[in-house]
Amino acid sequence: MQIWNWSGFFDYLTNPFILGGAFTTLWLTAVAIVGGLVLGFVLALMKMAPSRLLSAPAAAYIWLFRGTPLLVQLIVIYTGLPQLGIKLSVVESALIGLTLNEAAYLAEIVRAGITAVPQGQVRAARALGMREAQIMRYIVMPQALRIIIPPLGNSVNGLLKTTSVTSVISMEELLRRTQVLIQERFMVLELFAVAAIYYLVMTTLWDVVQRRIERRFGRAYQQLGSATEQR
Amino acid sequence: MFRTASFRLSAALGLALLTSGAALAADCKSAVPDAALIGPGKLIMSTNPTLPPLQFIDQSGELKGMRVELGKEVAKRLCLTPEYIRIEFSAMIPGLQSGRWDMINTGIFFTPERAKLMYMIPYEKQAISISVPAGKGATVTKPEDLAGKTVGVEIGGFEENKTKQLSEELKAKGLTPLTIRTFDNFALAYQALRAGQVEAVVSIDGVAKEYADRGDFDRAVSGLYATPVALAFAKKDLAEAALKVLNEMKADGAYQKLFDAYGVVPTDGELTLAGPGM
Repeated sequence: MQIWNWSGFFDYLTNPFILGGAFTTLWLTAVAIVGGLVLGFVLALMKMAPSRLLSAPAAAYIWLFRGTPLLVQLIVIYTGLPQLGIKLSVVESALIGLTLNEAAYLAEIVRAGITAVPQGQVRAARALGMREAQIMRYIVMPQALRIIIPPLGNSVNGLLKTTSVTSVISMEELLRRTQVLIQERFMVLELFAVAAIYYLVMTTLWDVVQRRIERRFGRAYQQLGSATEQR
Repeated sequence: MFRTASFRLSAALGLALLTSGAALAADCKSAVPDAALIGPGKLIMSTNPTLPPLQFIDQSGELKGMRVELGKEVAKRLCLTPEYIRIEFSAMIPGLQSGRWDMINTGIFFTPERAKLMYMIPYEKQAISISVPAGKGATVTKPEDLAGKTVGVEIGGFEENKTKQLSEELKAKGLTPLTIRTFDNFALAYQALRAGQVEAVVSIDGVAKEYADRGDFDRAVSGLYATPVALAFAKKDLAEAALKVLNEMKADGAYQKLFDAYGVVPTDGELTLAGPGM
C-alpha cells in the first residue's frame, strides 16, 4: 500500500467538485460574518444600554448562543424547528445557525471596542449637544473599529473553518465534499491535504484583506505619527 | 487476627482460587501470534454503534447488539480479550490500515474493491432498504417511486454508494434523479426524516426493520442490492484464525443460534476469506 499518491493528489487539487465546496465555504462565511456583525452590533448596543428592558434580553441571547455548541444549534434549527411548524431548508438552516452563533461572539468583540473609547470624549460630545447617534458615528465608532478589527479578523479566520460543522445537517461544503470523495479511491491523506491547502489559500486571502482594512482604519494614527516627526 | 483458624482457611481458599484461575488462563492459549495483534492478548475491534439491533448503545451506555456479541464470541474462542472502539464508519478503513484496530466489526459490506485493501470474511446477508415516515409505506412500493425525491443516507458507506447508483439508474430510465443528502450517521438521517427534511432514508434491511418495528417509520422497500457484510482484518494470520473459529461456531450451531435470536440471516455454507493477493 502506497503512503502517498502524487498523481492522485494533483488530480484532486483541481477537482471541480472540491472547488465547488470551497466556494460554498466562502459564501457561507461571508454571509454569516456580515449578518453576524450587524446583529452583533445591535446586541452590543443593547447590552450596554442603561435600560434593563434592552440589556437583559441581549445578555440572555449572548449567554445562550455562546454557551451551547454550534452543532447542537444547527441540529435544533434543522430537525427541531419543523416540529414547531418552521421548516427551513439546509442552506437556510446553515446560514441562520452560523449567523446567530457568530453574532453572540461578535457582540462581545464590538462591546470591547466601544468601551475602549474613553468616556470623557463621549461626555464632552454630549456637553457640546451632539445626539447619541452622532456621537456613535463620528466619535466612538471610528476609534472603536481600530480595536475591533484584529479580533474580528480572527473571527473571520475561525469561521472559515467552523463552516465545516454545517456538514452535520448535510451541507455540502469543502470538508464534507472531501469526505465524499475519500470513498472513491480511499486516498485519505491526499484528499485531506488538498482540503488543507484550500483552507490555507482562503485564510491567507483574508489575511491580505484584513491588513488593508487595518491600514485604512489606522490612517488617522499614521498621519499623526508622521506629522509629529516633521517638526 | 492472622493466627485464627478461620482467617487461615479463607486465605488458603483464596490462594487456591487464584492459582486455579491462573491455571485456567494458561490453558487457553491463543492461536493468534502476538505479532498479528496490536495489543497482545486483546482483540481490538472498531464499530459504529448507531444501527439497532445489530450494534447500538443501550440506556446505560453499554454496547449491545448481534454484531457486538459475535465479536465477543470470536474473541473468546481466540482466547483474546475483546475491546471495542466506537467510531464513525468513514474513519474505519483508514484506522485499520494505520494499525489502530485489529478488526472492523461494523457490518462492512463486502465489495471486490475493498477486498483489495483488507482481508474480509463475509458472514451476514444484508440488503438495502428504503424507509419512509410511518403511514406512507404505500407511496413507495418500488425504487422507481423515489424518482425526484430527497433522500437521506449515511456518508461514506455502501449505502451511499448504492443510493448514487440508484439515482444513476433512475436517470438512465428517463426518470428524475434523486437529491441525496449525506449525514454523519443513520441516527441523524432518520432524525431528518422525522422532521420532514428528507422524504426517505436509504439504509440496510436490519436497521430499517428495527425502526419500522418501533413504529416511527415504515420499511417501504427492502432486499435491494443484496450483498453480504463482512468482518475485515489488516493481518492475514489473524483473519485465518478468526475464519477457523467462525466455521467452528457454524459447525456447533452457536452461529445460527445467535443470528436467529436477532432475526438476521447468515451467509450460506462455510465461510471463506478474500483479500489482497488472494
